Amino acid sequence: MVWFKKRQFFVFLIIAVLAVYSMRLTEFDLSKFRDFENMGDFLSKWFPMNTDSLPYLFTESVLTISIAFLGSLFGLIIALPLSFQAARNTSGHRLIFAATRFYLSFLRSVPEFVFGLILLTTLGLGPFPAVIAIVLHNIGVLGKLISELIEAADKGPMEAMSAVGAKRWIGNLFAILPQIWPNVLSQFFYRFEVAIRTSLILGLIGGGGIGQQLFIHFKTFQYQLVSVDVLLIMIMVILVDYIGGKIREKVI
Amino acid sequence: MIKFENVSVLYPGAAEPALKDLSIHFNQGEFVCVLGKSGAGKSTFIRCINGLQPVSEGTVKWNDKSLAEMTPKENLEVRRKTGMIFQHFNLIPRMSVVQNILTGLFGYKKSYENLLGLFDSNERMSALEAIDQVELTVEPTRRVENLSGGQKQRVAIARALIQNPKVFLGDEPVASLDPGTAERIFHLLKETHIKRNLVSIINVHDVGLAKKFATRIIALKKGKLIFDGSPENFDEKVYAETYNQ
Repeated sequence: MVWFKKRQFFVFLIIAVLAVYSMRLTEFDLSKFRDFENMGDFLSKWFPMNTDSLPYLFTESVLTISIAFLGSLFGLIIALPLSFQAARNTSGHRLIFAATRFYLSFLRSVPEFVFGLILLTTLGLGPFPAVIAIVLHNIGVLGKLISELIEAADKGPMEAMSAVGAKRWIGNLFAILPQIWPNVLSQFFYRFEVAIRTSLILGLIGGGGIGQQLFIHFKTFQYQLVSVDVLLIMIMVILVDYIGGKIREKVI
Repeated sequence: MIKFENVSVLYPGAAEPALKDLSIHFNQGEFVCVLGKSGAGKSTFIRCINGLQPVSEGTVKWNDKSLAEMTPKENLEVRRKTGMIFQHFNLIPRMSVVQNILTGLFGYKKSYENLLGLFDSNERMSALEAIDQVELTVEPTRRVENLSGGQKQRVAIARALIQNPKVFLGDEPVASLDPGTAERIFHLLKETHIKRNLVSIINVHDVGLAKKFATRIIALKKGKLIFDGSPENFDEKVYAETYNQ
């Protein structure tokens, strides 16, 4: 047992206990798959696809992409400067660092759905509250991820910028941003992809887009339209992933 | 021009100071090589000169004015008049040769000009001249990560030259280069030094290079100055004292 230490067995044991406990709480039971054919019957109702509403659903998909894009873009634009204050090596002051970290944690801890519900009271139904809900959550997530990239950046260029007499914030910006930019883009596209799925959920509370259509079609048993919705969602996610990968390749 | 008066540096948590009660001064036109084993305090010493490393005790003076007593503006002036090159070049990755060189002007320009990259034609011309001076034969628009070690150090020297420095500091600038390239870089440093009548203070591990190029050698051991003299006087006895336990 050269590879393992006693402490690791203890950790494995704790993980195993937690897994068993969680399985009990979640009624995790693979034998329930014996009614698998029910799923088959249900899925068979999805076909043939009803493509009559495709142009309309396509427009709704574009709306979903717009919600997700703006939610991620504005999230990134706001998170970027905040992340420099939330990183130990670039923050102006310990108090600013602690306050920014707390603020980002708070934004991250509130799900978009909850932000959406709160914003409905002021902004009413529609895609706008969905965009703001995604922006707020993305500030928290991207702010934390980017601040960790900043902390891990090579200190050499920062030292060189100090040595030439650059102002601290300019030096930090130029020394760090080019280093972390490909990873920032990766995070952005991942959050964009997540935002597409989130905007589907926000459709349930009137956020609009293909998510709202999916919800309506499900509720009204129009399964042949549900299959079209699901297909469009899959295409959107794959497309964003592909484009993101290509852009990142170019940037690197 | 540059004077150390009883300078000590103690890093937080360290039992022994990195520099101990160091007093020394440097004059215009001197090409000084700093020798010593790893951990002898060479890098700390170099960083104290332009204030990158604050001192724990004593004073570093520029033209009889203490760095610690200078206003932020005067400190900035010291930094922009000091060209510094590093072992790992410390260039900004994913930026081109000419962009990296232009960052040497950051200390001279307003923040918004730096942010937006507003450099006038004279400044751009100076960057191209600096490329010529360091005999860099690559495209100015080429990204620096695609260059060899020697080419990267030439870019770093060009970045320092565009600052129009009075002092040149080198923190092991040739440690990651092969011997041939290291010698060529030292040639370039010496030539620039003579042309611009600088004070050059350079950390180096290669005693041969130091003896060949320096006008003065200083040696540090465990943070203490153990030799200060001409290259001819840096003999085997001093060598042994510097590098042996």
